[in-house]
Amino acid sequence: MKTRRAFIKAGLAIGASLPLANLEKLFAADLPVTNASVSAAPLRAKSILVAVRDGERAAMLDKAMAALGGMEAFVKKGQTVLVKPNIGWDSPPELGADSHPETVKRVIEMCYAAGAKSVSMFDNTCDQWQRCYANSGLEKVAKETSATLVNGKDGTLYREVEIPSGKKLQKSKVHSLVLDSDVFINVPVLKHHGGTLVTGCMKNLMGIVLDRGFYHRVDLHQCIADLLTLKKPTLNILDAYAPMIRNGPRGKSADDLVVMRTLLVSTDIVAIDAAGAKLLNHQPSDVRHIAIAAEMNLGTMDLEQVDVRRFKLA
Amino acid sequence: MSSRFLKWSRVVVALAVFAALTAAFVDFRELVPWKIGHWLGEIQFVPSLVALLTGASLSLACIIIAVVTLAVGRVYCSAICPLGILQDIIDRLTRWLKRKSRPASFSRPHTWLRQTFLWTTIIAAVAGWGGFALSLIDPYSNFGRIASDIFRPLATLANNSVVGLADKVGWHGLFRVEPHWAGTGALHQPVILLILLVVLVVIGGLLYCNTLCPVGTLLGWLSKHAVFRLQIEKSACRKCAACLKVCKARCIDLQSSSIDFSRCVACYNCVDVCEEQGIGYRFAWTQKVPVSKIAPDAVRDPQRRAFISKTMLGIAGTVGVGRVLLASEKLSDGNTKPTPNFSSVICPPGSASVERFLDRCTACHLCISECPTGVLQPAFMEYGLTGIMKPRMDFNTAFCNFDCVRCGEVCPDGAIDLLNVATKHLTKIGEARLFIDQCVVVTNSTDCAACSEHCPTKAVFTIPYGNNLRLPSLNDDLCIGCGACENVCPAKPDKAIVVTGWRKHGWAKKVIESKATMPKPTGDFPF
Repeated sequence: MKTRRAFIKAGLAIGASLPLANLEKLFAADLPVTNASVSAAPLRAKSILVAVRDGERAAMLDKAMAALGGMEAFVKKGQTVLVKPNIGWDSPPELGADSHPETVKRVIEMCYAAGAKSVSMFDNTCDQWQRCYANSGLEKVAKETSATLVNGKDGTLYREVEIPSGKKLQKSKVHSLVLDSDVFINVPVLKHHGGTLVTGCMKNLMGIVLDRGFYHRVDLHQCIADLLTLKKPTLNILDAYAPMIRNGPRGKSADDLVVMRTLLVSTDIVAIDAAGAKLLNHQPSDVRHIAIAAEMNLGTMDLEQVDVRRFKLA
Repeated sequence: MSSRFLKWSRVVVALAVFAALTAAFVDFRELVPWKIGHWLGEIQFVPSLVALLTGASLSLACIIIAVVTLAVGRVYCSAICPLGILQDIIDRLTRWLKRKSRPASFSRPHTWLRQTFLWTTIIAAVAGWGGFALSLIDPYSNFGRIASDIFRPLATLANNSVVGLADKVGWHGLFRVEPHWAGTGALHQPVILLILLVVLVVIGGLLYCNTLCPVGTLLGWLSKHAVFRLQIEKSACRKCAACLKVCKARCIDLQSSSIDFSRCVACYNCVDVCEEQGIGYRFAWTQKVPVSKIAPDAVRDPQRRAFISKTMLGIAGTVGVGRVLLASEKLSDGNTKPTPNFSSVICPPGSASVERFLDRCTACHLCISECPTGVLQPAFMEYGLTGIMKPRMDFNTAFCNFDCVRCGEVCPDGAIDLLNVATKHLTKIGEARLFIDQCVVVTNSTDCAACSEHCPTKAVFTIPYGNNLRLPSLNDDLCIGCGACENVCPAKPDKAIVVTGWRKHGWAKKVIESKATMPKPTGDFPF
């Protein structure tokens, strides 16, 4: 009897972690399954991480998205989309401090091609916001793709929300585009960071809250992880074409970058950041917000447990 | 030349100058090209004179204005000077509100007051605190402060109040902008001046231009001796007094059929209104300067004696008060300086030193209006009395954008040099000091590094600390004093990193790093 109870419990837990569509399959498979196979990983939906190398930005993105069933798998006709690049610095594209216009442009084009009703972008920037938008090249991208670039410094566009599962960050003013958009695509650039070691997908979401200072004052890594309990991006696209490997996150010159020609895409924000950390030669567990997020079950840090699909374009 | 042409060309030029200059000062979205504000500032009399006398630039506008005035009178005052034009606008508005026309009257000149203000300014300049006197009394700078400190935040608020509405009707060209109000200490001067202007305009026309303004008095003196002057053709004059009703300066004396050309601002209203075409320019160098009660010329005239003694008394009084105030300020300054180059207040990059900046800056606030981050704020007593209202770097509000040299681009009087971006990157206006005991990483044992994150030169960097933490550390040689670290430091109640100004600016060291190499050279995925 004890094993059956354990089996049901485990089954419920697994069921809760799967999308509704998969439930039927789970119950259909109920009877023949033995205890041993239930406790093992295969039944739990493995996170998928697509990693592409050795191509141009747009080509790598095309390949990665094709491997995930295309942008259509994430953006349905008539949906509103928020694309959240890193536009934190008044810095030109070649210095790698902000998300690269080529990548962002391709993402927006894909969203519109998939039938998006609208695509918006914003960032609560570190430097003066209009200069960040203009000099990062993303203002031009917005114009070319007719995406809407929204002021990230306008406090009235943020709404205070409760974050009940947060340990340190329990409420915060979050940009309404994050709260209201149907699809939320996170498009940061991989960089060294003097404070958090690495900045990738999770750290980029500091730009969706109004009070960044709170994070720094209270507990930077914990707050970064806490915010994910409120809302996780639908999709994460991490640009590691030429990551900044020192003097981050602002950088001083193009000499701070190394060309890796790599792009990562995943719905699992912890897995993708773990892979990003490895690209910069760090153990994911050394980057505290990655370790904390994994511990809080917000994703998979152990890449052995992730379905990594690797592609080389050359 | 037709009589109408003179007035209407004056009106067109004045409105164009006023609109463009106001737009430059009020522009809170960087929509107006910065060159417009810069050019219109450069052609103003005092900024040009300051730039020329300090050797900042070969600015000839002041000489051209003087020559033009000596030729045809004070064209500058009603067509180019924004404060003069502002008074015209106030005059029109108040008369429109009261639905009353100007009183047809002649006002006597307040000659001794005029001379006192002019000579006090000149003596102050010679005595070495011209920067202070000019910043208080230059008409262009006074207009700049009214536009920058009052009109600009009001326009920002107006913009913010219609953003929601614009969004609703589907127009997304507007967005909210944080209004920057000057501190109350610095704000009181433009507010008081604006109120004073309205009062003076209502009670007495151009009382400001013809009593307080030293530029008006100086140009008035030249105008009095102008080659061509507006004069009344006595044979044509029916004494209908139409000209008196439209005279802004109230300088037409119908009894003697004369115009006090030292107070005439060349608005040409009278020329335009005279049905007999009895007022116009006449070559006047063959005539004697009109001797009348307006400008008593008799050497032993008791009125003149009274005028001289009153003027001298006024100057002595003003200089005396100024001296006492300055002396007390120097004393307190001396007591608070730990090192010779230390400054509790920080002046913008390109201003070279606090002393040079205070000498040259007339506090027009064009740089404050144009500063994209809002780090430039008007000082109250931070520089001491001589620096009241002059721009200072306020790192509580914002920090200096690394790649920006806008303040140097717009400065009309050469107080802030135009640096190229590479020079600006090394220009050291101050130096950060780290109070590590107050740092969040130490007090809270959590990562932060906001300072290092923002530091554009990596003078602030991080070193491994405790259990997988990173602690800020400082390389003084690289710091340029931009204030980014101080602005973002989250430590409370006191910041853990604070920039101290340098009285005389210096240079940061330039470091060229070798090309970064791959952390782990590999042709494959490391996972």
